[in-house]
Amino acid sequence: MCGDATKWDENAYRESVLKEREIQTRTVFRTVWSPFNPSPETIVVASSDGSIASYSISSIISELPFGLSNSKTQHLLGAGPSGYLQGHDGPAYDVKFYGDDEDALLLSCGDDGRIFGWKWEEITKSEVPIHLQGNHVKPVLDLVNPQHKGPWGALSPIPENNAIAVDTEGGSIFSAAGDSCAYCWDVESSKIKMTFKGHSDYLHCIVARKSTNQIVTGSEDGTVQIWDCKSGKCVQVIDPARDKRSKGFISCVSCIALDASESWLACGSGRSLSVWNLPASECVSSISTHASIQDVIFDDNQVTAVGGYGGVVDVISLFGSHLCTFHCQGI
Amino acid sequence: MEDGEIEEEGMMIDGNGEDAQLTSSRKLEKSAYEMLRESKSSIEEIVAEMVAIKREKQPKAQLRELVTQMFIHFVTLRQANRTILVEEDRVKAETERAKAPVDFRTLQLHNLMYEKSHYVKAIKACKDFKSKYPDIELVPEEEFYRDAPEKIKSSKLSNDSSHDLMLKRLNYELHQRKELCKLHEKLEQHKKSLLETIANRKKFLSSLPSHLKSLKKASLPVQNQLGVLHTKKIKQHQSAELLPPPLYVIYSQLIAQKEAFAENIDLEIVGSLKDAQTFARQQAVKDTGITTNVENSKLEDDVPDDDDDGQRRRKRPRRVPSKENVDQAGLYQVHPLKIFLHINDDEISNPKCAKLISLKFEYLLKLNLVCVGIEGSHEGPAKDILCNLFPDDTGLELPHQSAKLLVGDTLVFDERRTSRPYKWAQHLAGIDFLPEFSPLLARCETPSSETAKSDAVISGLALYRQQNRVQTVLQRIRSRKKAQLALVEHLDSLMKLKWPALDFESVPWALHTPLCSLHGWSPVGPASNSASSLPSMDIEQIQEHIDVNLDGRPASKEELETAREDGELPSLVPVTSVENDVKLIPSGQSSLIHSRQLALISKSIISPISKARAQSFKKYDDDSELLLDIDSDVEDSAQIDADAENAASSHSYELTKKSWVDCGVKEFCLILTRKMSGNEKILKLEAKIKVSMEYPLRPPLFALSLAEDQHDGNGYEWYNELRAMEGEVNLHTVKMLPPDQENHILAHQVRCLAMLFDYCLDEASPSEKRKTTSVVDVGLCKPVDGSLLARSFRGRDRRRMISWKDMECTLGYPY
Repeated sequence: MCGDATKWDENAYRESVLKEREIQTRTVFRTVWSPFNPSPETIVVASSDGSIASYSISSIISELPFGLSNSKTQHLLGAGPSGYLQGHDGPAYDVKFYGDDEDALLLSCGDDGRIFGWKWEEITKSEVPIHLQGNHVKPVLDLVNPQHKGPWGALSPIPENNAIAVDTEGGSIFSAAGDSCAYCWDVESSKIKMTFKGHSDYLHCIVARKSTNQIVTGSEDGTVQIWDCKSGKCVQVIDPARDKRSKGFISCVSCIALDASESWLACGSGRSLSVWNLPASECVSSISTHASIQDVIFDDNQVTAVGGYGGVVDVISLFGSHLCTFHCQGI
Repeated sequence: MEDGEIEEEGMMIDGNGEDAQLTSSRKLEKSAYEMLRESKSSIEEIVAEMVAIKREKQPKAQLRELVTQMFIHFVTLRQANRTILVEEDRVKAETERAKAPVDFRTLQLHNLMYEKSHYVKAIKACKDFKSKYPDIELVPEEEFYRDAPEKIKSSKLSNDSSHDLMLKRLNYELHQRKELCKLHEKLEQHKKSLLETIANRKKFLSSLPSHLKSLKKASLPVQNQLGVLHTKKIKQHQSAELLPPPLYVIYSQLIAQKEAFAENIDLEIVGSLKDAQTFARQQAVKDTGITTNVENSKLEDDVPDDDDDGQRRRKRPRRVPSKENVDQAGLYQVHPLKIFLHINDDEISNPKCAKLISLKFEYLLKLNLVCVGIEGSHEGPAKDILCNLFPDDTGLELPHQSAKLLVGDTLVFDERRTSRPYKWAQHLAGIDFLPEFSPLLARCETPSSETAKSDAVISGLALYRQQNRVQTVLQRIRSRKKAQLALVEHLDSLMKLKWPALDFESVPWALHTPLCSLHGWSPVGPASNSASSLPSMDIEQIQEHIDVNLDGRPASKEELETAREDGELPSLVPVTSVENDVKLIPSGQSSLIHSRQLALISKSIISPISKARAQSFKKYDDDSELLLDIDSDVEDSAQIDADAENAASSHSYELTKKSWVDCGVKEFCLILTRKMSGNEKILKLEAKIKVSMEYPLRPPLFALSLAEDQHDGNGYEWYNELRAMEGEVNLHTVKMLPPDQENHILAHQVRCLAMLFDYCLDEASPSEKRKTTSVVDVGLCKPVDGSLLARSFRGRDRRRMISWKDMECTLGYPY
């Protein structure tokens, strides 16, 4: 608290109110399990205030008051992060791990058009107390999206990175950028190896299809395109909303997912979800939901973690029940 | 034989005259006696002879002889015996004769002895006799010789010199005393005359105050004219002395602040001084058990010049004090004196509207609490202005532990009271460092302990000044009141369904003319318990007010009643019924809607706390139904499930937040409508706005939802957009505003929301395709070409981008 009539600090109080509100309005854009653990233990969360924070599930569950875990009216547990990085200006949209061994890199991208790579080991082993964390670890990787040049040398704003995908074998990172291009970055040289140009609006999501050395991108223009990494050419265009668009209703492809065999593609577009067989390139099934789809995943794993508005992270088990839900607390 | 001897001796001792006779009788006697002895011895001889004869067995003839002799002897014996007896009789007679004189003499002796003892007694009585003058305190002898007049000294009254002296001294004493008596009488007379003069003067004096008063009264206009409020000030200072210590601290510090920094405030001490005095006296008696004279006399001194004061007060209606007397029972006993603080606006020079707020400070004796209320306003919302002046200070909880213990089970302060024990009031009163004793007692306490205590108080006061408590509190109250005034203005304009005016133009929404229309604005049932604290009288008042308003449509009140009886939650009534109104009534009859809304206000005020909570539960139920639906749909849509959960949880998060934040929260429902250009569809944006008492420090919180009438949508289609708008309105708008616009936050937020809603819909309507601006420079120089993409969305959450140019905003960038 910022005091009472005896020690009144109005500005500090105003800031604390705003900070509280900031936490309330925070959106978690992506969650990812940390690597090298037989059972998933730590969740890394990218949220709209540009921070990347890691949360230890076991410690969160142990903090959970007994008997309250399933009651719906419970006060959401405010969980303190175990690691905290103040990464991006503006929202952080995606986090991914590059590699899954000791040298794994934590990659994050955000609205500022940057991709940062941190050494995961450095973050986990950090001795810095949590309230001082934020800039304690320097990123080993810092990639900035190129700006477009307009007439008379005018530069466009730096396009944002909406999603990243990794190909550890090829040593490359794919990013879905806001300038309707996908970029392939070389991790070693921090240079752009390839630019995939062809979408008419900005990209929402990107998935690497390693078996065929392809990437799949979903865009605001409502199409999914499959690109060949070698040539950088579009191999295939999937238009899940083709029939709808003719009615004058556009919807973007907000999320795509590949199954383990990398032959089935699920793509969420607006409020409909369609599954495509890639070799045959035809729509196998299509369903529509009540709300616009935020993310899809092929569920061959035990648990899935999703993030949502209000800085809430939900861990959902195989049967759709909530393992735990917690609030990300600011520091 | 022996008897005879003794008598003989006695006779010999007694008398001398009878010696001759005696000797003759003695001779005679002696002879008888000798005869007796001779005969005895001769008998013994004969007996011995006889025995010898018998023993020697001599002839008995001898015996005969012997017997005859023997008989002769016996005859002599008898003769002797007779003479002895005769002699005895004679002696006896003689003794008898001698005895009489002896007896006479003895009697004489006894008489004499008695006489003697009588005389001794008489002598003793005489000796014991006391004169009365030893008790009289006499002038010592030397003084007598020195001072006594010759007349007394020279006179001779007795032959005995000491007696004479004594008499003279006594006379002198008498003389002196007589003199003194005379003097006393004289003095008494003098005294009487003096008393008379005093009485005269007193009469004059008693008539003097009225003269003076009339003089004073006559001088008042002059004082007012000259701006010297001397009289009033002095009176206030006098009554300040009787204030309990906490109130005294408030008073003195505020006065000091006013005088030192020309703070624009006015102070007033109100209450019966007489009561205060009696109270102080009671307190003194109770605390010490003894009342020192000093106090009493001091108090008594004070009384007379306050008398007229009290009388004047008595002329006022006595209703208020009697009501207070009822209150005074029990814990909430109030000190008779109260402080009124009128805070004036420190900026505006216009004296008419300068007065911002009047506060009433009162002191609860039992609880040792200072309570603050707003004077002159009995409305619910205005009363709460003071709550949460500082964080976590609702005034409903008792500020210190001892008071809590006193109150016991009911840890919450009596809500019906118009004044509340805010923490800041305690800080302002310095209760944290004040010792708990009355000022009157402090005066008579031992100097050492007093200095120790006063040291503590002095250091406490130093800290008090250092912390600028007075200034802080005044500043907060002023800014709070101003903010509330600004808020009321905005609420009024919103109530009339007008866009609140903004005088600050350098924000995008100020220049944007809203395309959507402000369709509805209605207060929702208060989320906090502030409503229940309203005295029932007020509610009735409001209801009457409604009746007046509703005379055109008398049925509506019953309608509402029935709606409530149906089991519908009252707090839900406003929304639904407003919607009904919207459908039924054309826009021309807005006044009717207005009255209807007034009715709704009263309804929502009556509804207790639980209703508000129930409402949110209801909302939650909706959500859970959705959850079920979605669950049955597809497994892959777990994310939506999560989102729904999030929506629910974010509400519950709101609810369970610290309750003090919710104290005095006013909730409103704002409805914006926009007719979609393409079709007939009307989009309704419903915003639940929570305006906290801490406005504008804690900006209003908007919770948005989309109500599409004829659409199957459940709001999730717009979920991201709504959340983004919420974030923008709740947080970023606030951050963009400069501090001097703080009081108009609500207006800014509403306008910003309208703008966002407009742009949100612009996009939603089937829009033009994305443009690429190509530029070709036609001119003398080398042709340049290039293109910049125009975007209106960005990021995974599809945030809308709005370019804000000089006078207007456009969607997307970089146009």
